[in-house]
Amino acid sequence: MPQVKTDQFKSASVKALHDANIQRALGAPFAHFVDGRKSAIEADYTEESWDSMRERAAAIKAQTIERLDYYLDLVDRNVRRNGGHVHFANDSAHANQIVLDIAKQHDVKTVIKSKSMVSEEMGINEVLEQNGIEPVETDLGEYIIQLAKETPFHLIAPAVHKTKEQVSELFEKFLKSAPTADIERLCVIARDKLREQFAKADMGISGANFIVAETGTVVLVTNEGNGRMTTSAPRVHVAISGMEKLLPAIEDVGLFLRLLARSATGQRITSYNSFISGPRAGSDEDGPEEFHLILVDNGRLELLKDEVLREALSCIRCGACLNHCPVYRKVGGHAYGWVYPGPIGAIVSPVLTGLKQAKDLPYASTLCGACRDVCPVGIDLPKLLLHLRHKIVADGAGVWAERLAVRRWHNAMKTRQKLEGSVRLSRLLLKPIARGGYVKRMRAPVVGGWTKGRDFPVPAAKSFARIWADELGGGRS
Amino acid sequence: MPTPVEDPNKAAFLERVRESLGRHSPILATPDHPTLKATLPRHEEKVRTILGKTEARRVANIALLVKNATEAAWQVHQAKTGAAAAGVVSDIVANSGARNVVRTSDDLFKRVDVDGALRKHGAGPVVLASNRTRRKSEIRRLAFGSELGICGVDYAIAETASCVVIPRRGVARLASLAPAKLIVLVDESQVLETLDDFFALMRFGFLTQRARTPNYYNFISGPSRTADIEQTLTIGVHGPGEVHMVIFTG
Repeated sequence: MPQVKTDQFKSASVKALHDANIQRALGAPFAHFVDGRKSAIEADYTEESWDSMRERAAAIKAQTIERLDYYLDLVDRNVRRNGGHVHFANDSAHANQIVLDIAKQHDVKTVIKSKSMVSEEMGINEVLEQNGIEPVETDLGEYIIQLAKETPFHLIAPAVHKTKEQVSELFEKFLKSAPTADIERLCVIARDKLREQFAKADMGISGANFIVAETGTVVLVTNEGNGRMTTSAPRVHVAISGMEKLLPAIEDVGLFLRLLARSATGQRITSYNSFISGPRAGSDEDGPEEFHLILVDNGRLELLKDEVLREALSCIRCGACLNHCPVYRKVGGHAYGWVYPGPIGAIVSPVLTGLKQAKDLPYASTLCGACRDVCPVGIDLPKLLLHLRHKIVADGAGVWAERLAVRRWHNAMKTRQKLEGSVRLSRLLLKPIARGGYVKRMRAPVVGGWTKGRDFPVPAAKSFARIWADELGGGRS
Repeated sequence: MPTPVEDPNKAAFLERVRESLGRHSPILATPDHPTLKATLPRHEEKVRTILGKTEARRVANIALLVKNATEAAWQVHQAKTGAAAAGVVSDIVANSGARNVVRTSDDLFKRVDVDGALRKHGAGPVVLASNRTRRKSEIRRLAFGSELGICGVDYAIAETASCVVIPRRGVARLASLAPAKLIVLVDESQVLETLDDFFALMRFGFLTQRARTPNYYNFISGPSRTADIEQTLTIGVHGPGEVHMVIFTG
């Protein structure tokens, strides 16, 4: 599993805020995402028809998750009937071992990978390398961050924070190519290099965007064609997926493809969709002779157990919540400290990697609700974030000063006398350190952080309630 | 082919899933999901309606396909006779300057004599299929060595400008993927209106063919593209960057 740095959200955010490249990357490219999504939806749908699609998708996902055991069994039986192998992995280590066993059985030297977020969770590349197997990411963005030894900055644009000059430097260093600032040329360099790998690789690893239970079909969505390459050229194909990616029937897929493509990249449909239900048939000209599907838990049961958080398992990883989040749009993907960034990452990462360590993530939101409004499967992300905040406080993992402040507030609000007494006390304490009626900087826990970016007003000598009662005739009919 | 064995961890895994959902026993009946509940007779009726609609709207569907394909960066050509379609293909190949051309052995090539048309300009295409003299292991090398691929399709979906290719004997996966340029031949009878029409037909096949579905098929909905560097759209990464759709209305 890649190193979990979810406890460093605050310091990593500050660093990102001062990184010019990251701030540039979070500007225009993201406006492109936001505008592209909007125009793609408006080209074909009204607000009502789009919302009704989202509602249908949310209902299908919720019903599938409620009966997950049934559908997992169905997938297993159907993939195996098609001649594929199905594995159930409890955690990262277990899933990695399954992949290694398959690789060893087939004497695999090189693995080509199509984008898979679960494989990022597993840290499979490191494990393969440690066992003498060369893993090669084939999604261009993933390939760039593999060379840079980084985690994805974004769910669908993992290298969006890299400038073309930085990409050129990486290619110069690792691929010995000539420096260039021409993006098309950079793509050709990567294409040529990856062609060699496609032609010789023994095993392909992919993720799964959806898995259809009734037919036992893995659905892969890619724009570059690397998903097709990974599942066509090598002898063995291993699809690794979170166990929640299920849909009941093939006729449900159309709805989700429409929602995913528009929400993710502003397309009517992604360039390539592959539907894989097993190894190649005996009469086929090409394609893998063996097909494996690994269904991974790795902490998802914890989401499933919680009736509120369960909703997060409906996520189809489109990235729209990231693109529209005012916090993500300032701090970027790496601040979140693990595989999943943005609002969905702030929900999933704490549960999958430990709430105590990731206790700042559920607070990395203004709760403005933009994420909920654009989610193609209608996940109420602010509700889930609030639920996690409740859990943090209930588990005693919050800040002691905050707990003390809330307790005092609670006490002060019990009666008017107590409230007025507290206000007078605050005025007495704050007046000596105020300038022009405002406290500019306070060196104390919690409030210290608050005054870093804002001024705190000293309470007025006479409260509004008192002015109302004494001077404005309040309370008299 | 024998059915692979069940993972010994499956029972315990599913038990934990059930427990997490607060249930103690497995669900035995098919869940109340509209699609899963639609049995063959009901589904047959649905498919009849789709086929009737497809026939009635043929001209409108082709117009929609042309519009959406053009928007998705397909280069669209229409031909009314087999000879005209072969001529269009031959012109594209000649203009592309491609020397190594591969094709599949789809039935449509019996009506559209691509080989004859190409031979007029030089060598005909290599048929990317195994036979007595060519082993399957050579397919990969031949595909990666080619510059242009020509293939038929099984369906075209007007809503998304998607061409559906189902690989089988004579239809290699790599024929429509490895070359940098691609020509697909679409017969007008293959054009469906929506994604849902296509998936309903696939499910019909699944229900009638003893619960079997093709082990692999693809939608090709335009050129290979990426925006992974600075969100700048670049065409032609791993798949073909130049894609032509020749719609045969003869």
